[in-house]
Amino acid sequence: MKYFIKKFFIVLVIALFLVAFSQSYNSLSIDKLAYVVAIGVDSSQSGGYNFSFQFTTVTSTSESGTSEKSPSIVNSVEAQSIGSAINLMNTYIGKRLNLSHCKVIIFSEDVAVEGISKHIYTLMNDTQIRPSANIVVSKCNAQYYIENSKPILENLITKYYDIFDNSSNFTGYTADANIGDFLNNLECDTCNPVAILGGMNTENADNQSDMTENKASSAKSNESSITGKRGSENIGLAVFKDDRMVGELNAYECLSYLNMTHQAKMFFITIQDPEKEDNYLDIYISPLRSPKVDLNIINGSPYIKVKFEFSGRIYSIDSDREYLDTKKLDAISTSCNSYIESTFSDYLYKTSREFKSDINGFGKYALSKFLTTKDFENYNWNKNYKDAFFSVEVNTSVESSILLTET
Amino acid sequence: MSKIKIGTTEAVVVILTVIIAHSILSMPRNLIVRTQSATIINIIYVTIICTLIVLLICKLFKKFGNSDIIDISEYLGGKVFKNIIGSIFILYFIASSSILLRNFCEALGIVYFQMTPIIFIIFLFIIGSCFSNRLGFNVSLKVNLIILPIAFLSVAIIFIANAKNIDIQKIFPILGNGFGNTFFTGLLNISAFEGILYLYFIPPYLKEPEKYKKISILSTLLSGVYLLLCVSIILFIFSSFIATNEIMPLYSAARYISFGNFLQRLESIFMLIWIIAFISYLSITCKFAISVFKKLTNIKNTKEIINVFGLLILAIAMLPKNLAVSTFLETEIYSYVSIAVIFVLGITILILANLKKKKT
Repeated sequence: MKYFIKKFFIVLVIALFLVAFSQSYNSLSIDKLAYVVAIGVDSSQSGGYNFSFQFTTVTSTSESGTSEKSPSIVNSVEAQSIGSAINLMNTYIGKRLNLSHCKVIIFSEDVAVEGISKHIYTLMNDTQIRPSANIVVSKCNAQYYIENSKPILENLITKYYDIFDNSSNFTGYTADANIGDFLNNLECDTCNPVAILGGMNTENADNQSDMTENKASSAKSNESSITGKRGSENIGLAVFKDDRMVGELNAYECLSYLNMTHQAKMFFITIQDPEKEDNYLDIYISPLRSPKVDLNIINGSPYIKVKFEFSGRIYSIDSDREYLDTKKLDAISTSCNSYIESTFSDYLYKTSREFKSDINGFGKYALSKFLTTKDFENYNWNKNYKDAFFSVEVNTSVESSILLTET
Repeated sequence: MSKIKIGTTEAVVVILTVIIAHSILSMPRNLIVRTQSATIINIIYVTIICTLIVLLICKLFKKFGNSDIIDISEYLGGKVFKNIIGSIFILYFIASSSILLRNFCEALGIVYFQMTPIIFIIFLFIIGSCFSNRLGFNVSLKVNLIILPIAFLSVAIIFIANAKNIDIQKIFPILGNGFGNTFFTGLLNISAFEGILYLYFIPPYLKEPEKYKKISILSTLLSGVYLLLCVSIILFIFSSFIATNEIMPLYSAARYISFGNFLQRLESIFMLIWIIAFISYLSITCKFAISVFKKLTNIKNTKEIINVFGLLILAIAMLPKNLAVSTFLETEIYSYVSIAVIFVLGITILILANLKKKKT
């Protein structure tokens, strides 16, 4: 009898657990979920927001065995908050929206200027959103940006979203700005967040911006000279002061940002040829070590000295050149130094004087100048950053060209 | 004397179990909230203080051979005093593990089982700990010996994998909330060394009682190192967690780990490790609570009361009305109670018993 009761009890407990946990399991059944790959947030005329959700279907394979590009679906809904937008969309599609594969969150410029903290906190409060989801501020309508984000070289839109920020590793013209880092910087007393600056290339732009310069260095989203099959482009960064967007960085300013935050791995710069005034040289630069930052507070204003060390190789080469001559290489190195110093310095003063936003996180170097947290709070780093002075020192060692050393 | 014998490594691991169970929840953040950027200095300072206290405990235990604190209480104040002290320790074991269990299950429910009633999640842990205790203390110790180093390693991996974002400068302002806060009120952070409680109960179980001092010091220092690791993750890498109060800061930190495009979403593995470590902690706590109960009541067969203790933990875990209440109990009340029981009550009994021994 005792044995029977014991067995009965075990069966009862197993049955209870099956019932209790099956609810959680059922709610995550793949048939009942719709996977969102991108969310777009636009402001609506009624004072609320227009939320766009991009979904993807699995890759279809034709009879010949070649895989076809999966179409993505973009649905939009107007709501006051992301929660109610998800609810409405759940009703419309008859499935539960799942954000665990959401790769990109796009805010239109006007929403970003208003402030996006409530969206960021809400999204980070959701267990499904990954901290690695990228944040993009679109110069155009977020919905339009999503509709034009079509993969060209990949089959799946998710694959494109997975790798689109990788170009920051070898160009420095955009950055891997994700929601996790955005939240960290939003909560930080010594820094401010950034987001990827997105937009449309000239062929697809809904609002034709003025292209003041046709130089690659000053290119940014919506103002680049790129034409291509995909409408959307991501060049530059959106700068935030707390949760509000206060400005934009172009390609070279973004490169400066990546160098300041030690995220740049390699990049190209174009300098004037010291030998020929009308000629330009492309130099392939790689940082040798992380920048050395020295911060002092002089008369209440931060004085920040930043020292960089780079190595370089000459990429562009013309006829009658000799790039094993130390004197010539030194002249190119000096030219590189002055060019980078001036670019970085301009960028730093822009963040300080124009944006008043310490996106480089220099504030953390000021912490050691104070004995207690209260002293630091009283100093008010974010307020004093606008009065900061900078000194940039660059030491580039251009070693040679790449395969051809003499022509 | 107990028939079950614990080796030196097993004993150290038992003491570390407690700190690891606490660290999975909000403990590292609570330490930082108290002392801000001076937490690293504070932890080093508190570890030194704790090591001195542990040396004192070893000295005070020296005259009592293989007796535990319950035997010493009997020697000091007779059976009534022994029953009072024993009841306090049983209550502490059960209440602390219940509150911790409730918070851990709430977090688990939020992350993975949103549609499952909390009682079933808690019940699953209770079954695990009861089952482990029924199999015997040796089983719990062996499992603990395997899982604890893995749990320790999991936290080290979180630190290493996120090390690219480390900001050592966050150690400044060096005095955090001030000198007084770091070195005086910051002493409250000593409650993180809750594992010391088990030092009062392990002497009868030790295979080599002469290594008691070595076990005590080693476990305290390892606890200090582990705490430094946990605090460093939040202070140097995820300082935003201090303001945002993540439900499980280490879990949230694990969500940031990815190795290229190949290895992502590793937090589930970490969670699995921590669940096993938590069941291990529960079974060890339950075992010590039962052994104290055995000493008080002189019952022969403890197997029959394992389920009772399990249900008691379940009942207490269900008492808090919601997460806010259980978090309040864990973050606000718990440190004061643990200091009172471990550092005030325990040491006072030992000192008084030593004085009595000296007189006789």
